[in-house]
Amino acid sequence: MLTNIISISLGAILINNFIFSQFLGCCPFLGCSSKVETATGMGLAVVFVMGLASAICWVIDQYLLVALHLEFLQTLAFILVIAALVQFVEMFLKKSVPSLYSALGIYLPLITTNCAVLGVVLLNVQNDYNFLESLVYGITGGLGFMLAIVLFASVRERTEFSDYPECFEGFPICLVSAGLLALAFMGFSGMQIF
Amino acid sequence: MNIKKQFKEGLITNNPVLVQLIGMCATMAITTTLFNGVGMGLSVLVILTCCNVVVSAIRKIIPNEIRLAIFVVIIAGFVTIVDLLLQAYIPALSDALGVFIPLIVVNCIIIGRAEAFCQKNTVGASFFDGIFQGLGYTLVLIVMCVFRELVGSGRFGGGLIDITNGFRITMDGTGAGIQLFPSDYGATIMTLPFGGFITLGLLIAIMQYALKKSAKKKEAQEMADKEGEE
Amino acid sequence: MNKILKLTIVLFLVCAVVAGVLGVVNELTYETIEEQNRIKTERAYAAVLPSDGYEEVAFDEEANPTIDAISKCTNGAGYVVMTTFSGSQGKITLAVGVDNDYKCTGISVISHSETSGLGANAASTAEVGVNWRAQFVGQDDTVALTKNGGSIDALSGATITSRSITGAVSTAIKAVESLG
Repeated sequence: MLTNIISISLGAILINNFIFSQFLGCCPFLGCSSKVETATGMGLAVVFVMGLASAICWVIDQYLLVALHLEFLQTLAFILVIAALVQFVEMFLKKSVPSLYSALGIYLPLITTNCAVLGVVLLNVQNDYNFLESLVYGITGGLGFMLAIVLFASVRERTEFSDYPECFEGFPICLVSAGLLALAFMGFSGMQIF
Repeated sequence: MNIKKQFKEGLITNNPVLVQLIGMCATMAITTTLFNGVGMGLSVLVILTCCNVVVSAIRKIIPNEIRLAIFVVIIAGFVTIVDLLLQAYIPALSDALGVFIPLIVVNCIIIGRAEAFCQKNTVGASFFDGIFQGLGYTLVLIVMCVFRELVGSGRFGGGLIDITNGFRITMDGTGAGIQLFPSDYGATIMTLPFGGFITLGLLIAIMQYALKKSAKKKEAQEMADKEGEE
Repeated sequence: MNKILKLTIVLFLVCAVVAGVLGVVNELTYETIEEQNRIKTERAYAAVLPSDGYEEVAFDEEANPTIDAISKCTNGAGYVVMTTFSGSQGKITLAVGVDNDYKCTGISVISHSETSGLGANAASTAEVGVNWRAQFVGQDDTVALTKNGGSIDALSGATITSRSITGAVSTAIKAVESLG
C-alpha cells in the first residue's frame, strides 16, 4: 500500500510530470509564468483544486455514475463538478480565509479551464485508482505542476534580458525553454520504482 | 457574408494555434503520427462546428449570467458524442488519443470561439467560422505531425498510409507509413515531449516572422504610394 | 430570488437536454462499442495463439493479482493469459500465449499509455514493434532482459517498459504452470 502511494507520488511529480511529459495544463503554464511570485500562487491554487477535485469526482463517479451505469456522462459531470467546486472554493476562501483568498483569488477562475484538473480526474478513472490513490495522485500531480511552473518562471525571468532573434519574442522563446526543461525532466524517466 | 475573409483568417492570419495561441496542450501532445494529427484535427473541427452552430442559434435566449456554464455543458455534450462515436467506429483512434478526446472540453479554441464569435454572429457565419478555424487547427497539427514523424523516425504518414500492397489509406491506424530513411537514423528526441515544445516554438516563430514581414511590406507600400502622390 | 430561480431552471433544462441526447447516443453506440472491444480481444488472442475457441478457466486469483483471466484453447494448443500491470507511464494490458510445454507463443499489447516513440514501440505495428515482440516466442518462465542475464533486448530508451513486459510474461507462464 505504502509503496504504491510512494510510486504514484514520485511518478506524478517527477517521472510523468503533468506539464513535461503529459502536456496537461500548458495554457496556464505558459500564461501565468512570467514571475516566480505569480507562478507560486497559481501552483498552490492548482494543488488545492486538483486534490479536492480528485476526491469529490471519485466519490461522484463511484457512487453515482458507475452505480447507475451512467459512465457516458463522466466528462459532462466532471467538468460541471470542477466548475462548481472552483466557485465554492472561491466563495469559501473569500469569507473565511481572506489572506489565502488574496493570494490565490485571481487564479481560481482560470483553473476551471485548466486541462490538468479535468485530466487528473479522467486519469484517475482510467487507471482504476481507489479513493486514497486518487487523492494522492491529484495532490502530487498538482505539486508536479507547481514544481514545473515555478522552475519555468525562474527561467523566464532570465530570458527577459537575453538576446534572441526578434521573431522568437513572446511565446516561441518560452516554448523553446520549456522544451529544454522537458529534456531535463526526461532524465527521471529512467528511474525504477518498486 | 465574407467567406473568403473568414477562410484566410481561420487558416492563416487568425490561426487558432499560431496566432491566437490557444489549444496548445493537445497540439504538442498528440502530434506524433499523421494518423493522430488528422484524427484529432477532424474531431475538433466537427465539435467546433456543431458547438458554433448551436451556440449562435440559441445566443438570444440564454441568460448572460450563466452563458459560460451553458457553453461548457453544450461542448461537453458534443465531445462525449464524438468520443462515443469514435469508440464505436474508429476504436484505434480512440485508443491512440486516449484522454485527449474528453479533454477537448477544456480546449480553449471551442469556448473561445463561442465567446468571441458565435455570441455576436448569425448561424451561417458561425458555421463557416467553425469549419475554417477547425481547418486551421488541423493544418497546424498536420504540419507538426509530418515534421516530427519525419525527423524523429524517418517516416511519413504513420498509421494513415500503407504502401505494402499498393497505396491505400488505412482508417484503422495499422498502416506502417512510408519509410523515407531507416528509423535508426532518426532523432527520436523529436517524437518525445521535447520535440513537441521545440516544433511548436519554431512554427510560431516562423509565423511571427512572416506576419511581421508582410506588415512591413504593407507599410513600405503605403509609404511609396504616399510619396508617389506627392 | 426570482432571477436565481430562473437561471437555475434554465441551466437545469440545458443539462437535462444534453444528458438526454447523450443517453440516446450511448444507447445507439453501446452495442457497437462492446462488439469492437470483443473483436479487439479476439484478434489479440488469435495473434498470440490461434484456436477455434477459448474457454476461461479458474486460477488462483490471490496468488496472481496482476492476471485478469486465463483461457484454455479448445483445440488443445495451450492457454492465453490476459494480464494488466504497471508499465513506466500507466497500466499495460497484455495477452500472452502459452503452449503445453510452458513456452511463450507470442504476446500482444491490448492497451497501454507508454511514451510515444519509446515505450509505445512495444505495441507498434511497425517493424520495430513486430521484431521486438517476436523475441518472446519460445521463451520459458526464466525470460529476462539481456541486462539481467536473459536473451530479450530492451527497446532503446524504454528499459522500464521492456522490463515490466518481460516480468509480466514470466508471471503469466508461471501462472499457467501452477494450473498443472
